[in-house]
Amino acid sequence: MLHDLIIRPFESGYMQRALIEVVLLGVLGGIVGVHVMMRKMAFVTEVVQHTVFPGIAIAFAFGHSLLLGALCAGALSMVLLTVGTRRSAIDSDSFMALLIATFFAFGVIVVSRQRSFQSDLTALLFGRILTVDRQEIVDTIIVGAISVIVLWALHKELVMRAFDPAYTGALGYRIDVIDLVLNLVVMLIVVAAVRAVGTVLVVAFIVTPAAAARLVFRRVRTMMVASALGAAVCGWIGLIVIFHGSIDHGWRVAAGSTIVLVFTLAFVIVWAASAVFARRGRGSGSAASVEAAS
Amino acid sequence: MKTLVDSFHTAIFRRAVFEAVLIGAIAGIVGVHVALRRLPFFVVAMSHATFPGVVIASVAGFSLFVGGTGFGLLVVALVLVLGARRALDDSSVIGVVLAGSFALGVLILSARPGSSTDLSAFLVGSVLTVTSGDIITTIAVGAIVLAVLSLLHKEIVFGAFDRVGAGALGYRTWVLDGVVLVAVTITMAAAVPAVGTLLAVALLTVPAMTARLWTDRIRPTMALAATFGALSGFVGLCVSAIWAVAAGGAIALTAGVCFVISLAATTSRSALQRRHAGVAGFGAA
Repeated sequence: MLHDLIIRPFESGYMQRALIEVVLLGVLGGIVGVHVMMRKMAFVTEVVQHTVFPGIAIAFAFGHSLLLGALCAGALSMVLLTVGTRRSAIDSDSFMALLIATFFAFGVIVVSRQRSFQSDLTALLFGRILTVDRQEIVDTIIVGAISVIVLWALHKELVMRAFDPAYTGALGYRIDVIDLVLNLVVMLIVVAAVRAVGTVLVVAFIVTPAAAARLVFRRVRTMMVASALGAAVCGWIGLIVIFHGSIDHGWRVAAGSTIVLVFTLAFVIVWAASAVFARRGRGSGSAASVEAAS
Repeated sequence: MKTLVDSFHTAIFRRAVFEAVLIGAIAGIVGVHVALRRLPFFVVAMSHATFPGVVIASVAGFSLFVGGTGFGLLVVALVLVLGARRALDDSSVIGVVLAGSFALGVLILSARPGSSTDLSAFLVGSVLTVTSGDIITTIAVGAIVLAVLSLLHKEIVFGAFDRVGAGALGYRTWVLDGVVLVAVTITMAAAVPAVGTLLAVALLTVPAMTARLWTDRIRPTMALAATFGALSGFVGLCVSAIWAVAAGGAIALTAGVCFVISLAATTSRSALQRRHAGVAGFGAA
């Protein structure tokens, strides 16, 4: 029974590759997600996942590497974001919405010139987790290794900048450089995830597990471990649901969305559970919560 | 050019132009409130969050506007409830909710046959298939939203600039916040059939931002934003008719081009003023 439920789905090669990719992305997203949440950068993640779309669309139309296209478009949007928000008349949130709208519109126009518009657009938007190949897993491992090394090396600086930007600046650190590095790491992970889960659902891999971990844990490193583990487990559960749903029950479900919905469900459960515990624990005096400055 | 002239002879295209210009103007004005309250991320979130409502409405066969509005208001409530916990900041909660609800929409859509065709229509809109009913909905929504916003104009602007002050004077700031959020959600739901969920974001943020470059005062900003929004709708549709590209994409891109031109023009203008006056420019505060 248990074997049927857990082992059987992963007997075929494509499900094994999907599992490896989902677990990798879950761990990466979970780790960087804690930084994203401490800095309230969910909107930046949303911007990146939409702005890589035209890069992918152009690369797709001209037969270049999707990864390269996504990297170029992502880097361009991060540079524009840094430059564009320097002028005080431009509100940074409005500028991010502008980047999303124009980049995305450009991507849609490029795709709409293609003959197989509908199915291509759908694949680019929602990804194809079940058709991940060996090369994509290798790409993910390389991108992931770079991101994790950068985050590990700059951990102290990143956390300090999140909690006390004024002090960090006073110590002589360049805050804009730290910010740019974090933006680029987020961009790298979004790009790695985009082909598997598509351009509109990546944000769930980064924001949702970290937000759930934040509800339970207070320490940054504990949060990272919890959100990485949680995301990997949820991805695994999601794949099992997809397999049994489509093979045993004949459901026609989109794979990426199913995984994201498992994430969301897990968040809601953690939220409800922690709300109950918080109410009980209030009487016995709970520790003051840690708040990050933006 | 000939294709464009031909297009204008058809009733379908004239209806499309009317709808696009109308939505552009309404969204431009509402967009000024979005910019004042720093709600662009909320707008982006709503564009994704109304999606399941639109899908359910299309599956069940009732008005897309009703579906989008209903689900949108549900999501607003959800964000407020989940965000009430102090541990989480608003943007994380919005991120969680928008991804979850969008995934729900995709899941419902993928469960029925012929889904990919419908999906791209939801995302980039199908302004050329706009019906008279859609136009009437848009007019009604626009009239109500603009009437409410202009009646409460002073209070809403006051609340946006000085929340504490407004509260101290006895205004219920959460009611004012709620009015703006509902207005944005309804406008979004009305724009969905024409420009699609994702590119409605463009009309609710970009024209207001473009107008903001030219003036610092709110009412002129609104007039300019409405003009830029309507212009984007008109020019975007003409571009899409001439080169046969997706209409929603062309409209959003036109709005973006307007912004870039305005940015260049106002930057050089304030640089010139500074040189002539020999004092700090007053163009961009």
